[in-house]
Amino acid sequence: MKLAEEEYKALEAIVGAEYITREPVILDTYNQVWGNVFFFDEKHSVRPAAVLLPANTAEISEVIKVCNKYGILFKPFSSGFEYLSLSLANTRGILLDLKRMNRILEIDAKNMRAVVEPYVSVYRLQLEAARHGLYTGRIGVGYSAGVIAAECCHHGCQHTMVFTSGYGRNTLGVEWVLPTGEILNMGSGESGGDLFSADGPGFSLRGILRGRTGANGGHGVVTKASVKLYPWYGPPQWEQTRKPGEPPSFGQLERVPDGYRVFVPSFKDLDATLEVSEELCRAEILYAFGIGIIGTAQMQEGNDEEWAMIQQMMQKGNQSFDPASGISVANSVVCVIGGRSAGELEYKEKCLRVITGKYGGSFSEQFNEPGALARAFADIIWSNGVNLRATGDFLPSSSSPDGSPAMLKKLALEEAEVKRRYEESGAFLSMGGGRMVSWRPEEHLSIGAQGISTAQYDPYDPASLAAAREFIDKLFDPRSPFNRYGVPSRGGCLQIEPVTHIHQNWGRLYDNYDVYLRKIKKMLDPNTVADWTAFIPPEYPDYAKDGDYVLPSYGKEEEI
Amino acid sequence: MAYQDYTHDMQRCTRCSYCKWIPYRYIKNTDFMEGCPSVARYLWHAYSASGKFNMAYSLLKDRIEIDETFLDVLYHCHMDGSCDVSCKVQQDLEPLQLMQELRIKCVEEGQLLPVHMLVIEGLRKEDNMMQSPKADRGKWAEGLDVKDLARESAEVVYHAGCRYSYDEELQPIARAGMQILRNTGVDIGIMGVDEACCGGRAYELGYAGELTKYAEHQLETLRTAGVKVLVTPCADCYAAFKVLYDKIGKKPEIEIFHITQYIHRLIEEGKISFTKEIPLTVTYHDPCHLGRLGEPWIHWQGKETRAMGPMIIHDPPKKFRRGTNGVYETPREILKAIPGLRLVEMYRIREYAWCCGAGGGVIDAHPDFAVWTGNERLKEARAVGAEAIVSACGWCKRNFLDAAAASGDNMEVYDIIELVQKAL
Ligand SMILES: Cc1cc2nc3c(=O)[nH]c(=O)nc-3n(C[C@H](O)[C@H](O)[C@H](O)COP(=O)(O)OP(=O)(O)OC[C@H]3O[C@@H](n4cnc5c(N)ncnc54)[C@H](O)[C@@H]3O)c2cc1C
Repeated sequence: MKLAEEEYKALEAIVGAEYITREPVILDTYNQVWGNVFFFDEKHSVRPAAVLLPANTAEISEVIKVCNKYGILFKPFSSGFEYLSLSLANTRGILLDLKRMNRILEIDAKNMRAVVEPYVSVYRLQLEAARHGLYTGRIGVGYSAGVIAAECCHHGCQHTMVFTSGYGRNTLGVEWVLPTGEILNMGSGESGGDLFSADGPGFSLRGILRGRTGANGGHGVVTKASVKLYPWYGPPQWEQTRKPGEPPSFGQLERVPDGYRVFVPSFKDLDATLEVSEELCRAEILYAFGIGIIGTAQMQEGNDEEWAMIQQMMQKGNQSFDPASGISVANSVVCVIGGRSAGELEYKEKCLRVITGKYGGSFSEQFNEPGALARAFADIIWSNGVNLRATGDFLPSSSSPDGSPAMLKKLALEEAEVKRRYEESGAFLSMGGGRMVSWRPEEHLSIGAQGISTAQYDPYDPASLAAAREFIDKLFDPRSPFNRYGVPSRGGCLQIEPVTHIHQNWGRLYDNYDVYLRKIKKMLDPNTVADWTAFIPPEYPDYAKDGDYVLPSYGKEEEI
Repeated sequence: MAYQDYTHDMQRCTRCSYCKWIPYRYIKNTDFMEGCPSVARYLWHAYSASGKFNMAYSLLKDRIEIDETFLDVLYHCHMDGSCDVSCKVQQDLEPLQLMQELRIKCVEEGQLLPVHMLVIEGLRKEDNMMQSPKADRGKWAEGLDVKDLARESAEVVYHAGCRYSYDEELQPIARAGMQILRNTGVDIGIMGVDEACCGGRAYELGYAGELTKYAEHQLETLRTAGVKVLVTPCADCYAAFKVLYDKIGKKPEIEIFHITQYIHRLIEEGKISFTKEIPLTVTYHDPCHLGRLGEPWIHWQGKETRAMGPMIIHDPPKKFRRGTNGVYETPREILKAIPGLRLVEMYRIREYAWCCGAGGGVIDAHPDFAVWTGNERLKEARAVGAEAIVSACGWCKRNFLDAAAASGDNMEVYDIIELVQKAL
């Protein structure tokens, strides 16, 4: 199912021979991503028929028109870290690597927004915005990930959502090449103005563009976006340093920058931690907030060093590994407050201390010494390097519906309990046997939060992989005792084919959202050329069923 | 090891793309955040270290073959190890070793680049990588009153290396290095016409047999000469003697010094002191082979095991080479000791320094790419306000000169030996 010569030549004529390839050697570097084994049984997903490196919007528009003419699937991506970004429904699909579109077009400090192209990373924008006293939220995935991928196309949940929002609510105007090849400027861009607003005078299509978890390439290509920025109270530049002879992973901030304060209180158990979290978030004092992942420890060189450190701490009876101790990582939260004046910081700190005191919070020396706080700050504020080193993969069993904190708590606690059982069996990484969840609350918890119980498993250990699949299937089965509210998602999308059973099983229970999704897709993409593997399939595959329940089907079909 | 031995690494590469950038903690200027010249220039993911893991895995799974594209991608790489450092901040993987094994496999299977074949033919015939006659090897030292260790004995052997020996623009530097050491009373000599290549660059091209052959030759020659110390001005040679020989089980029994280390020692002993001012703002370029690739080899034998469930650990614990123990401070301290000289740092330094462009056989096979990489570095030097760029390797100086000539950049290019000589 490769491209015919005529089709390839038509694409080549647009981008130039230097920027298109059909060389198997190169193509096969565009289908190997973490997480693939979970879905496809193999590290390779379907090999694209060609990969293109377009230079601009006009080229992309022309390429998409060719795709429509010949019925070729296409999918754009930014850094390509997400498994979804490279998955294709069949080998008659092409990938658009947007690396050449890498400019920060504008930082409009007065109006607190930036206009960027797709290959601008979150970390790069953080560095540039800081020079203007501004900040963009922190994506967990690290310093390659694109701003547009996060804000406009994929998940976009952030550790700083309590202050900076997330899930597409930072998207202002965008330039969007529809799956037909037409170029649409959303919001103010439509009337020829710049992209300062997504909400008129032209169409406000943010919901259509991405919805909650992103269209993941299923809706065409965002070629330019204006995104909101937030106040930055730190210095215009910063330096992470280390002592001579220390490995690069040891680089750290000397101290928490002026303008910020960091606190890592611990509570007696997970229930109490979730309760105090709710009150802390609602107090509208936080800049960043996280549970469970507190980033206070020095990042070790490698797994062996990490393990040696853990053993040493365990031998010393270090309480951070013992959930019963009341100061374990699992029951601790990292709170960052920021402000322009000392008075503002004083006020926020006072509030924080009152609330944490109410729930019996303690501030252990280990988590609250200046070095630990500086590390926690860097970890939660900047889009830094993520670490899949421990086991090779992870599963964020994401319960991320908008909803009440009570519901989130219920789900988080139940999920954590299930996960703990897999940890006990040795299938998942176990950090002391306690229940652990991570919460990323949105807008002071006024909207909801992403609650995740991250399971670290080894995709190349059959038992661990089987457990991971069982775990996810259990959590996402609507017949399960979780009585889950809202459409579950894994890192934004467990709807990736071959597991579209999630849509099938949940759509009918949830206002037939999948039917509407498909209608929207059909309207925007009449020829179904925007790859749908991480969005909504044109038709559901005929998967095996258990009663009404559609069973998952892992693996892939591919001819190369 | 063979490339298949890195299957674990091929599987675990997550495609985070951190190998493309310098480690995020040290990014200060977003114009200079890229770490890998290959993917920065050629853009396709295959050109990154992650891409090499992917290529190797596809090869292993019989999805692709070693063809022209494979070779083109594999050899458009300086083997500079920047990716290796960046990857290892988050991962326990060995991208550089995998690339090395892929090159070895290509050579073993007769998948060769014609240009490299010529270079290797020259090496086999003339014992140097410069396609020049062996008879001219010691010419750089003509007129110097220096001991010939083929006939005389000395404590220290000065190994000039192929580049300094044959590159006419660099020969004066080799002489200067020799004179500096000799003038301080070091009992030093050269092998003259009998000096042979270290084999390090051939190894990087994938010719593993050449490294073994030259390592054995060197060990034998050094033993016969009865020297206790080897000093070289060439970073590539330093890495070969210090790291690669050890890697292949042929660790020399004598001490190996890069000339900067030896000069530094002489400064500390009060045998060298600088008297002349050099009023110049310079920036120091870390040669890959003195820096991250000059880190001593770490031998490890053991097995992969598990902790806390599926956490991947090793028994006994495995120490990865993360570039930390390369030579970084020594040359800087020498420069700082020169009166009037102002040292400014570039944005990409030490473990995460940008390559000069000469490494991995690129200067031979893809000179345009070598020049491009060199020019990116010159831009960086200019961005920090340097009037001159200083390196501690003949290959770097050669490539910076070529790059400056190609782009019309008038940045001054120094070998650290030249500045030391000027300041004495
Ligand atoms: C360890 C780890 C942690 C993660 N943590 C988080 C997290 O905290 N929060 C979070 O939100 N996500 C997270 N993710 C998921 C995801 O990788 C990130 O959201 C990140 O934004 C991906 O950036 P990228 O540039 O690599 O996107 P890509 O992988 O390039 O793209 C992501 C999706 O967006 C689409 N896309 C990208 N650019 C465009 C465009 N210009 N037009 C149209 N479609 C486009 C792609 O088709 C793809 O489906 C995590 C992933 C990993 C591996």
